[in-house]
Order: sequence, then C-alpha cells, then structure tokens
Amino acid sequence: MSEKKYRKVKINAGRGGWGGPLVIEPKPGKDLIYSVTGGGIHPLAAKIAALSGGTPFDGFKSKADFSQIAVAVIDCGGTARVGVYPMKKVLTVDIHAARPSGPLMRFITADLFVSGVKEENVELVDEAYA
Amino acid sequence: MWNWWMKRMPDASGLIYEIEITAVGALVEEFTAEGIWVFFNEQAPQEVAEFALLHQARPPQQLLAPGQILSIGPERYRVTAVGPVANDNIAKLGHLVLKANGFGAAELPGDVCIEARPLPCPSVGLKLQIWPAWENIQ
Repeated sequence: MSEKKYRKVKINAGRGGWGGPLVIEPKPGKDLIYSVTGGGIHPLAAKIAALSGGTPFDGFKSKADFSQIAVAVIDCGGTARVGVYPMKKVLTVDIHAARPSGPLMRFITADLFVSGVKEENVELVDEAYA
Repeated sequence: MWNWWMKRMPDASGLIYEIEITAVGALVEEFTAEGIWVFFNEQAPQEVAEFALLHQARPPQQLLAPGQILSIGPERYRVTAVGPVANDNIAKLGHLVLKANGFGAAELPGDVCIEARPLPCPSVGLKLQIWPAWENIQ
C-alpha cells in the first residue's frame, strides 16, 4: 500500500449561492478536479485539489472520462455548463451564484450542485483515507 | 432598409465580430427550441460540445453592446442586452450565450439578448455577424 493521499473536502454554497453542501472524495482512478473555466486551472479548483489530494485537470486542454472526475469546477452563469455535469451525475461546483435554470434545469439538484463558491467555502472534513 | 445600410458600408469595414459555425452538437435542437444558442471555440470538451455550436473565430474587435445588429444568415436581429461577463466569455473561450428573448436587461451574467424571434436551423457553415448600431453609422 502506498501512503494515504486523499482527504475528504466539503464545499458549501457561498454568498447568494445555491445547493450543496457537497463532499468531494477523490479515489484512485477518480481523482480529477476538472476545471472547465478556460484560462488554465481556476484557483478554486487548485485549492480543492491541494486540500483533497486530487489531480487538477484543465478540461479545455485535455480529455477525460466522466468516471475519472471527482468534481467539476465551472464558471457558468446558468445556461448550459450548469446542467451538463449534473446531467452526467458529476459533482459540480459553480464559481458564479447560479441557480437551477436553463434547458437542463431538471438535472440540477442540491446533492450534485453547489454555487457561488469561493475559496473560503472549501473545508477539509476528514483525515486521509485512501 | 438593410440594403440601404449595406450600400453605405460597401467595404464591410464596420464588422465587429464574425462566427462561422464549424460543428452543431446533438442537443442544440432542444436549445434552439427555447431560443438559446450556446457557442464555444473548438477547444471545448466533448460534453460541452454536445449542446454547443463550435467555431474558430478570433475575439471581436470591440465590445458587444446593446443596439448592435446581429445577422444570422439573411436574418437581422437587434442586440437588446449584453450581460456583464458576456464579453469576457467571448474573449476567453469563444463562449457566447445568445438568447432570442428581447430582454432589455440580461437575466444571467453571460447572456447576449436579441429580439424575440425564432432562431433559424443552425448548420455548419452558417455565419453570424455583429455590426455597429444603426445610429452610429455615418
């Protein structure tokens, strides 16, 4: 066994945000902190990766399977990306304080989606586990 | 009216932004029915491309603003509102959220609202152009 590297991280809705809290649990083979924000890895994704031990990943640069994603980090105002990852049952953190809206609204639920998230809304909840 | 305007702009030098559609995602039809088109550049991940219209356009020469005219093929629509992050999205990701809802204020920060008329059927090769507001043309 290699040394334990992953930690659970809890993500709460920020000011004016909606949904959550979500608990992110990276696992071997499912540890990507998937930033779909453009302009590189978003600082919020970098923080979640640093705390959880997950691997930061730029969705605009490389491809990954949904099965490998521990959490998707988006900066969507509420039309499209806001629903795509919840539709695929991928935990989704939105930097903008978006609420369920848009054509994919029916997929956006509080157990899969949290919004308005800033770095101070991310907290470590557990000891290393895997 | 448009022909008159075009005669006054023979070299098309006022063009602010032009997008040529290079791919139409499988879910775009559902969005079109709601009067919404979502654009991204071709670097968009596959799951995003599913509901998007892709393109390779360079960022616009100037900021998009209400009053400008959007042409989609032969159709003309007046831009009614531009959300506070819309121009940033376009510059960064080629990401444009077009809503044919006629709103005078963007409901969501990335929205670019145009007159509330049906959007045409999107296809590869279809061009969208944004032109200056009529009243700014001398």
